[in-house]
Amino acid sequence: MRIARYALLLSLFLVCAAGPSVAQNVPYERILHSQSEPQSWLTYGGSYSSQQFSRLKQIDKQNVSQLKVAWIYQPARPVANLESSPILADGVMYITEPPSTVTALDVRTGLKLWSYSPPLPEHVVSIGLYATSRGVAILDDTVYIGTADSYLVALAAKNGAVRWRVHVADNAMGYAMTGPPLAVKGKIIVGSAGSEAAVRGFIDAYDAKTGKRLWRLWTTPRPGEPGAETWGIGAPESAGATTWNNGSYDPELNLVYWGTGNPAPDFNDDRRPGDNLYTCSLLAVDPDTGTLKWYFQFSPHENHDWDSDEPAVLFNATIDGKPRKLVGFANRNGFYYVLDRTDGKFITGVPFVKETWAKGLDANGRPILNPDQQPTLGAGTLVYPSITGGVDWTSPSYSPDTGLFYVSVHETGAYFIKRTGNIEPGPPKGIVGGGGIRALAGEQSYGAIRALEATTGKLRWQFKLLAPAWVPVLSTAGGLVFSGTDEGNFFALDADTGKPL
Amino acid sequence: MNSIRSSWVRAAILAIAALIGSRALAAPGASQESSATKPADQSPGKDLFEQRCSTCHGLDAGGAMGPNIQGIPFRLGADVVKSTIKNGMGGGGMPAFVGQLDDAQIQQIVDYLLTLTRKDAGTVTGDAAKGKEVYASSGCSSCHIIAGEGSDAGPELTNVGGLRGPSYLRNAVLYPGTDLPQARVFLETGGLLDYLFIHVVTKDGRAFDGTRVTEDSFRIVIKDANGKFLSFQKADLRELKKEPGKSVMPSFRAKLSDPQVNDLVAYLASLKGAQ
Repeated sequence: MRIARYALLLSLFLVCAAGPSVAQNVPYERILHSQSEPQSWLTYGGSYSSQQFSRLKQIDKQNVSQLKVAWIYQPARPVANLESSPILADGVMYITEPPSTVTALDVRTGLKLWSYSPPLPEHVVSIGLYATSRGVAILDDTVYIGTADSYLVALAAKNGAVRWRVHVADNAMGYAMTGPPLAVKGKIIVGSAGSEAAVRGFIDAYDAKTGKRLWRLWTTPRPGEPGAETWGIGAPESAGATTWNNGSYDPELNLVYWGTGNPAPDFNDDRRPGDNLYTCSLLAVDPDTGTLKWYFQFSPHENHDWDSDEPAVLFNATIDGKPRKLVGFANRNGFYYVLDRTDGKFITGVPFVKETWAKGLDANGRPILNPDQQPTLGAGTLVYPSITGGVDWTSPSYSPDTGLFYVSVHETGAYFIKRTGNIEPGPPKGIVGGGGIRALAGEQSYGAIRALEATTGKLRWQFKLLAPAWVPVLSTAGGLVFSGTDEGNFFALDADTGKPL
Repeated sequence: MNSIRSSWVRAAILAIAALIGSRALAAPGASQESSATKPADQSPGKDLFEQRCSTCHGLDAGGAMGPNIQGIPFRLGADVVKSTIKNGMGGGGMPAFVGQLDDAQIQQIVDYLLTLTRKDAGTVTGDAAKGKEVYASSGCSSCHIIAGEGSDAGPELTNVGGLRGPSYLRNAVLYPGTDLPQARVFLETGGLLDYLFIHVVTKDGRAFDGTRVTEDSFRIVIKDANGKFLSFQKADLRELKKEPGKSVMPSFRAKLSDPQVNDLVAYLASLKGAQ
């Protein structure tokens, strides 16, 4: 349903704007300047800055209530979650269907042009995740998908023919790819999931033409490497910091920004004293070499499953009279952060949902912990936010017109429980989590679309939802904010006031 | 963790739903024997469930990545559930456990799932045959259906003895609305209660009470004490009050003697499916 909503939305935008279909060709320069062709959606977040902002304005506050369904595409396999955001280029919409199918749709009619399903083993290991895909990347005449069994596949955009298929990581050990690839300068950059299987995270770059791996950046250190001292006795088996969502890119700084997930085992932290670099961090990486340029760790020594794989939203704004290059980050831990994206320096951070685990952030953005908010044996500890955090993978949106950061939040807590948890050698037999949660009883959780001032995190307005929603947010130059509910509603709000339209 | 989840959610979600609900909402004198307050039962079925199933279905089977399956063998039949555990559902959802769990273990899991919606066993002290008379003479069928007989203002009771234990049933008769079951589980983030009492006032001043039938972020449908459905756009309401602890069902505390209540509970506990 998520996808259906998105598909509908984009199709409505495009019906008038798109010209006749032409051969698919999306060179890097087109993605770089995607703001000049708002009728397209060429990368996961709509642009390299991941703003989820459309410059189309034909649909506005006055006429949005007249939107009608243009077409509906029924995915073939409704068994797993549809979490895909479409790519749209030259009249063709590329979506993914779970677990790892790519489908090309004619945007005018919603009819399927072609579909590709990779060969998958009978038993795909998907520990701590749903075997699904959040979308593809497009570059030149090729579409790229990371599969549930951890292959990267290049398909001809025109007909879905396989150009190449390379093995990224061992699915039997728990590696699985659910996030969309990022296409930058002839490279396809990907991450992987698997922290709950206690794999070691990485970011990879592959040659877009040949599939040859160009570099790999491991996201946890081994003994002797920088950061190993932050793992205590656990360094030899440091695990986690998986990279299961999409990255952002700043072409002027030539930096790719990519979030990392929790350490493993997560709820039982006995064997990993220290900050556990580079878990729950934002990494700034040179895409040419795979070199880590800087990192910012949101949740040192994390043990509530608050991955930091949420999209990093790049924007520019003036702070204290000075123009700054910024990144806005609504973290699962419940804090909204503003960092300087040139060097990762902390600027500000405030809670955007109820949180009970930290008194606040210090001058460097490090959380000041509240006591008694750690997972405990037995009945557990009540902590806000819950395991899904203030927001999870669903993309927020930034509107340069309003200067607001829009995010679909989860207002809920949970009882966090610590149990035994050791990393065993060999393929994982189940979740290596060292605990779990119990959710709150009925009627105590809700969702909301919140509008934060992007430079301060100050709440400007909110629109409440019955249930915490797993739906991204899109803002537009028409002064609108689009999102959806888990109950199946697709809606538009006034971007300035939050009023439903 | 990834995905919608995050992971753990899977691993854990839930239980508290039932728990907290019963604790926080219980009226004085209400049953204090809910499963929530009991020490953990270390049955083999529970152990197996927690190891193999709770990742997706929650620690209390109340749902997480996968659906709420508390009591599902009662609703679908034990054979269907056993077959599903064995063979899975394909397509990346429910995996097949054939080769990983033997028939005896699967049976233990099924037995355990059946215990979850009964909440607490309690004991039957009354006479079911007399209880059937109490049911008939107290007007219960004007709001409840048993095996096709009665009206549907309240929940159907044809299977209620399979789904709920005697103590829970007693509490429901004496303190309606104080221990509501979980209706629907949000994906890994809590959920809604079944049979929640709703009070609404429209912008033009009309007030309505009823039991929630369904709700989303923009609309709500309630069923009043006469079984009539009333639907509202939230934007048209001046007031929308959710009142756990209240019910459109009257309490029978002052209407029935203790022996009558015991008999009625015995009758309800004996209802385990249409013949």
